[in-house]
Amino acid sequence: MILQFIISMIATLSFAVLFNAPTKQLFFCGLTGAFGWIVYLVCLNYGMSVAPACLIATFVLTIMSRVLSAVRKNPVTMFLIPGIFPLVPGAGIYYTAYYLIMGEMSEFSAKGVETFLIAGAIALGIVFGFSIPQAVFNTLKKEDHTH
Amino acid sequence: MAVTKEILTLAVEIADALLRNGSEIYRVEDTVMHILDAYEIEDYDVYVLSNGIFASANENKEDACSMIRHVPLGKTHLGRIAALNQLSREICSHDCSLVDSWVRLDECKNIPEEKTGVQVFFCGLGSAGFCYLFGGQPLDAFLAFLIGLLLQLFLIAAKKRSSSNFIVNIFGSGIVTILSLLALSAGLPILQDKVVIGAIMPLVPGIALTTSIRDFFNGDYLSGTIHIIDALLTSFSIAVGVGAIITIYQLLTGGVLLP
Repeated sequence: MILQFIISMIATLSFAVLFNAPTKQLFFCGLTGAFGWIVYLVCLNYGMSVAPACLIATFVLTIMSRVLSAVRKNPVTMFLIPGIFPLVPGAGIYYTAYYLIMGEMSEFSAKGVETFLIAGAIALGIVFGFSIPQAVFNTLKKEDHTH
Repeated sequence: MAVTKEILTLAVEIADALLRNGSEIYRVEDTVMHILDAYEIEDYDVYVLSNGIFASANENKEDACSMIRHVPLGKTHLGRIAALNQLSREICSHDCSLVDSWVRLDECKNIPEEKTGVQVFFCGLGSAGFCYLFGGQPLDAFLAFLIGLLLQLFLIAAKKRSSSNFIVNIFGSGIVTILSLLALSAGLPILQDKVVIGAIMPLVPGIALTTSIRDFFNGDYLSGTIHIIDALLTSFSIAVGVGAIITIYQLLTGGVLLP
């Protein structure tokens, strides 16, 4: 689990570099991604299926991005975009294409539906995460903010 | 008190830069409104789409002015978004005069991208990391690292020629699949699917998906639709690239099933 945490942190951090995040924020981008991934793994361990696990993980990492955004005084996007990558269904896209080519139609439709469900779960996770009022996060800011 | 036109131009230029570097619609509109408010322009309208900005101020007065910008969908640059955000805060609190703002805006726009070597290395590292996370063995991750390096070199070269995104994604995922199959054919004990999944991560439309959801959430349905279609088409392109190469591989090897 610790290894998974470190690797997901490195992977997220690398992608943050590709999106030209400032060096000072890289560590926190990585942290967001790693937390999202660990929450996802824990949910799977408790026997959840993939989509609800993604929903909860996305929810947690959206809130974490917003907290970091308030504390580190940076746009939420900074932490949310790199952080979400471990959960994005890249594997789903691959397997969907693979089973289509192989002509295994039942596997193909199962994977296709799963990919869409994951994307939908990520959407809901972000929506729930953003539905918490900004005022809650503003209390985290230090007192020298201007507007 | 500066004239309306000067302030609106500044606000729209900042919005343009934000949008170009991949900010969500809400932030762009909010920035323009805050700057206009800060300079006590009360009568204004701002409408922002994923690839355009429309703004007008003081329509009923002598110094009426309006602006339209066309902003192509660009590559995300988080550093510039953060810097522009900071700049707009300072403008709103009048910590930064109008003249200084233009200088600062130019600085923000010219924050460089990471050097090619750095981009290539981290693309490889990211691919390797994701390969391992999705169930690859260390050898698979190492291979994903090498393929990730080559993929980023390809992406940089393709960007210089400004090819269509479809072509870039189809060929990008195709290259990844070819390389992984070559390694498999060379007899390396790899999990070919995990290698591909790790190495296509740089192409996967995570940003478009996230931005789209946030646009929908803020009620910007049209912009959300543009981004979700971008995400869908990118996914299809990746699927086509992977699918085409696997089909060819099957024909060449006479229908041997991949492990």
